[in-house]
Amino acid sequence: MTALAAPSPAGTGRIRLVDYRRRSLLMARFRVLLIALGFLLIAFAALMRITWLGAVQPAITETTMAEALLPPRGEITDRNGVPLARAFPAYALWYNPGAMDDGGPPLVKSPEQVAQELRAIFPDLDPVDTAAKLREGRPTYLRRRVLPEDANRVMEIGELALELPRESDRHYPQGSLASHVLGYVQDDKGHLGMEQVLDDRLTDPNFRGEAVPLSIDVRVQGALEDELHRGMRSVNAIGAAGLVLDVDTGEVMAMASFPEFDPNHITTNDLIRTHEMVDRGVMPASFNRVTNQVYELGSIFKPLTVAAAIDAGSITDLSRRYKANRPLRIGKQTINDSHVIAASLNAPQSLIHSSNIVTGQIADELGSDVLKRYMTDLGMGEAPYIELPGRGAPLSYGGEWSRLKGMTVSFGHGIAVTPLHLGSAYAAMVNGGIWRPATLLRVEPGHEPRGRRVFRASTSARMNQLLRMIAVYGTGRNADAPGFRVGGKTGSAEKPKNGSYDRTTLVSTFAAAFPMDKPRYVVIVMLDEPEGTVASSYQRTAAWNAAPVVGRLIPRIGPQLGVLPDEGRDIDLTELQYLVGSTEH
Amino acid sequence: MTPQARIRRMGWFALLAICTALYGVLHFQVWSLASEVKKKERQIIALEEHNMLLETEYLTRSSQMQLATWNRVDFGYSAPEADQFVDSKRQLARFGSHRDGSAPEPISVASVSVDEERTPFPRLVSPITGKPLDEALIEPVREHDDERRTLVTTLAQQTARVPMAAAREEGAASASAATVRVMLGGAGQ
Repeated sequence: MTALAAPSPAGTGRIRLVDYRRRSLLMARFRVLLIALGFLLIAFAALMRITWLGAVQPAITETTMAEALLPPRGEITDRNGVPLARAFPAYALWYNPGAMDDGGPPLVKSPEQVAQELRAIFPDLDPVDTAAKLREGRPTYLRRRVLPEDANRVMEIGELALELPRESDRHYPQGSLASHVLGYVQDDKGHLGMEQVLDDRLTDPNFRGEAVPLSIDVRVQGALEDELHRGMRSVNAIGAAGLVLDVDTGEVMAMASFPEFDPNHITTNDLIRTHEMVDRGVMPASFNRVTNQVYELGSIFKPLTVAAAIDAGSITDLSRRYKANRPLRIGKQTINDSHVIAASLNAPQSLIHSSNIVTGQIADELGSDVLKRYMTDLGMGEAPYIELPGRGAPLSYGGEWSRLKGMTVSFGHGIAVTPLHLGSAYAAMVNGGIWRPATLLRVEPGHEPRGRRVFRASTSARMNQLLRMIAVYGTGRNADAPGFRVGGKTGSAEKPKNGSYDRTTLVSTFAAAFPMDKPRYVVIVMLDEPEGTVASSYQRTAAWNAAPVVGRLIPRIGPQLGVLPDEGRDIDLTELQYLVGSTEH
Repeated sequence: MTPQARIRRMGWFALLAICTALYGVLHFQVWSLASEVKKKERQIIALEEHNMLLETEYLTRSSQMQLATWNRVDFGYSAPEADQFVDSKRQLARFGSHRDGSAPEPISVASVSVDEERTPFPRLVSPITGKPLDEALIEPVREHDDERRTLVTTLAQQTARVPMAAAREEGAASASAATVRVMLGGAGQ
C-alpha cells in the first residue's frame, strides 16, 4: 500500500508527469472503492443480522398476567373446595458444574464447605452425600423443592454453579391422605387415581384454571383414614379398606386403602410388586383395595340374600322358622355354622346370629337363578362402577349357578367382589331399592343419576329394620354409636389358599348404614388378615375388630355429614321385636 | 422566496418541532405508565404465587392427619357424644322434667303475627241494643282530653264505654245509666 501511495517519480518529462497523475487518480478511486466495499459489507452484515433477528431468532414471548396466573396443571379439590392437589411454581436446587465457564474448578469454595453451608439452610440435607455430588462434577439435582426464602439464602452463598431453576411442582397438601383417590404425577403425566382419569382436563389450557371438585370430603376422609389405620394397627392386619358412600347420589365421601403411599414422594417400592411380595401375598402400597382387590366377603351377603327373598316373595312370613341345628348337606358339600345357635331360627334371627344354615335354606327356596339376577342387578357381575382406572372384576361369577353355588353365595362365599361392589349394593338395599353407580366427582343437587330399581321400597324399609336389629341385638353391637341409629352386618370370611379355605387367615368386614330411620350413608370397613390381640379381646371376627372401627368412626363423621345424633329417635322395631325375643334351643 | 414566505415556513417548522416534542413527551409518558403496569402485574403475579405458597404450606401443616394426631395426643379430644347435641325443640324438650302434682298450671300464651293479612276488626254490637256501634260512640269519655284514646287502646283495657245517651239517639232501647261498660272478656275494671 505504501508503494502504491508514494510512487517515486522515477523519470522526468511530461510523459512521466501524465503517467504519475493517472496512477494517482487510479489509486484514489481504488481507495474510494475499498471504503465503499467496506461500508457495503457492514451494511450487508447489518441486514443479515436484522433478517436473522426477525426470521430465525424467536421473539421474546410476552405472557399476560392471566396466562402467568394460570396453573400449569389444574387443581383438584374436595367437595367443599379444600385443595387436595395443586401445581405451583417452585424452585429446584440444580448443580451445574459448567456455570463458571473458565476452565477452572466449578466451585469457588471447597465442596465440603458448600455442603456445610447448604446444610445450614436445609437441616435434613446429608452433607457427606452432597459434598460427594459436588466433587463428582456432574450436573444433578441437589434438591427438588426449595422455598423462596431458602432460595434467597442459597443465592447468598455466592456459588454460580448452584442454580435455582423454576419448575412446576405438583403438591399434595394433605400428604398421603386420599392417595389412592388422587394418584400421582410423574413427568407431567397423571398416574393411578383421578390424576390419570382427569389428565386431559387438568392440562387443557381452557379448563385448567378451574379446579375440579371431587366428591370426597377431606374431613370425612381424614377421620376414616385415622380410625381405619388405628383399627388396622391394633389387630396387626396386613391391609385395610374403608369407604363412605352417599346412598342417594352414589358419591364417594371417603375412600381409603392401607398400606398407603405419599404422592409427594412416590418411590419404586410403592409401585412394584416384588417376588417376595408375591410369595407373601402382599400387594404394593399403590394398590387400591377398595376398587381393585376382590375378596370373598362372607356373612355380609346375608342381608342381600334375605332382601332378595323378601322382594321376590320367597319369604312371606318373617316368623317362619327354619331348622338350624343340623348341617345342610348338598351332595358332598356341607354347610355349617360355627356353633349350634338354636334348633330353629326365623329370618331376622338368622341375620342377628349370622346363621349359614338358615341363609342357605332361604337361598335354596329363592332359587340360584333368582339370586343371581338380584346380584347382577346390584352390579356384582362386572367391575365396579367408578372413574378410577384400577377396578377388579368379580371372580367366579359367570355361568349358570348350581343349587350349591346359590347357597354358598347367599352367605358370601363362592364369589369374590370388591368392597366397592358391596358398598353400592348396600346403598341400594337401604335407600329405597335403587342401585346407582358410585362416583368420585361431586354431584350437584338434583343431578344424581336415576339408577335402576333392584328392590321395592317396602323391601328396603323392612331391611332397614333388620339391619338396625343386627346392630341392636346381634353381631353389630360394637358399631352401634349412640344416637346415630346405626344398622349393619358383620362378615368374617376365611381366605382361600391353595384350593381350600385357610382357617387362620380372615377378611373381617363390617357394612353399616346410618341413620337407619332415613339412611343417608353407607360405611364399609374391611380388615385383611387381622390377628387376635388385646384390642380385639383376642378375637379375629369382624364384630371385634371392624365393627368397633365403625362405632368410633360414625360419631366423628356424622355431624360433619349433617347427621346429628339423637337418642330420642330411632327406626320403629316394635313390630319385629317379638320375632327375636328368644331363640328356641 | 419572500421574507413572509420564509417566516411562514419557519413557523411551520416550529409547529412541527413543537408537535414532535409533545408527541415525544406523551410517548414517554405512555411507555412509562405501561412499564409501571407491567411492573405491578409482575408484583401481583409474585404475590399471588407467594400467597399460594403460604396457603399450601398452611394446608400442609394443618393436614387432617396432623390435626387428628394433635387432637388425640396433645389435646386428648374425642368426638362429641350424642347428649352434646340439641338439634330441635323436640330434643330440647327431652331435657325437661315432669311437672309436680302441686305445680300451677302452665300459662299458655297465644300469639298472632302482625305481618299476616288481618281480617277486619269485628264491628262491635251493643249487647243492649243489638245494633252495631258507631265508631264515633267509642270516643273518649272525657271531653277536651288531650290523649285521644283510640278504639284499640280502649279495648286493651278490656272494656268499651258506650254512652247510652248517644245510643238512644239512634233509637236504641232505653237505658238508665249514662254509660255502660261492655265486657270484652277477662277481668273487668
